[in-house]
Amino acid sequence: MTTKQCPHEEAVTGAARSGDWSPELKAHRDGCLTCAELTLVVAVLAADAEEMAAMDAPLPDPAPIWLRARLASRERQYRRATRAIVWVQRAAVAVAFAVGIAFAPGLWEIASGAFSGLDLSISAPDLPRSAGSPLLILVVSLVVLGLLAVFELTSAQEN
Amino acid sequence: MIPMALSLPHAQVTDLAGRAVTMDEAAFHHLYDRTARPLRAYLMRSCGDLALADDLLQEAYLRMLRSGFEGEDDDHRKNYLYRIATNLLRDHFRRKRPESVEVPERDESPGHDEAVHMRSDVGRAMADLAPRDRQMLWLAYVEGASHQEIAKALGLRTASIRSMLFRARQRLAKQLQARGMRPELEVS
Repeated sequence: MTTKQCPHEEAVTGAARSGDWSPELKAHRDGCLTCAELTLVVAVLAADAEEMAAMDAPLPDPAPIWLRARLASRERQYRRATRAIVWVQRAAVAVAFAVGIAFAPGLWEIASGAFSGLDLSISAPDLPRSAGSPLLILVVSLVVLGLLAVFELTSAQEN
Repeated sequence: MIPMALSLPHAQVTDLAGRAVTMDEAAFHHLYDRTARPLRAYLMRSCGDLALADDLLQEAYLRMLRSGFEGEDDDHRKNYLYRIATNLLRDHFRRKRPESVEVPERDESPGHDEAVHMRSDVGRAMADLAPRDRQMLWLAYVEGASHQEIAKALGLRTASIRSMLFRARQRLAKQLQARGMRPELEVS
């Protein structure tokens, strides 16, 4: 009897799994401790696998697995489809900031001039007082649009 | 050894990763019917917990579907599933013992389902082995995986598998013999 690795292990494994023993291999197994152990382990594990495969415990329902995979797939497709929109939103924010920074000094002068030029004593009940300053409206609109774009961008990323 | 091809070329996985579910529902159900029971047996003998095995089983199929892996046939898909399942087991054991770099020697978590492991002498003998030994023995002698495939599935060097498998086998044989099992009694 030996306890070292044996060159016949592969043949013994095959025979133990199939049950097809040649007389020579069986004789070898009976005289080799390694192959005897191997035979025991392979036979026992094979029987155990069969027993466990035949267990009564029901398997998990595959339908929810399929459904979850489909939902995940649709989510990926949605993200891919809206990726362009998100990039356009990012670009809009970047442009708004760039324009704002580039024209900030001039706009400030124009805006402060418009404020100082407002004649609060003029009575125009059907118009807001700032109506005489379209540049101010433009600046405010840009700021509002920029804030909206930032809001959309962050909410899209969160989703 | 019976060829099993547990491994998958990295490039193929990467190419498929961005794609949607490609298998149709009928093909998925067919694959599930054919592979779920043996895969659960592998998971149960490796982790010793029926509920956990069922969770990992579902996660393995979900990951396979989400990867978009098509495979050449059901055998190819089955081998891919075993690799995913082995990775999930490895992640599970690593999460349980974050302080340990190596795979832990024993699975002694509170969720350990004694009823599953202890349902037979084989279950008790397997429970006394390290998780990695259990996985290695099951892949080699139940699933017929080659040393290279076992190495890839378990993240080990191929050259180490032969001796590691030999030692794992000796440990299991010792456990079985301690429970009164002998080769001449088990093999007709």
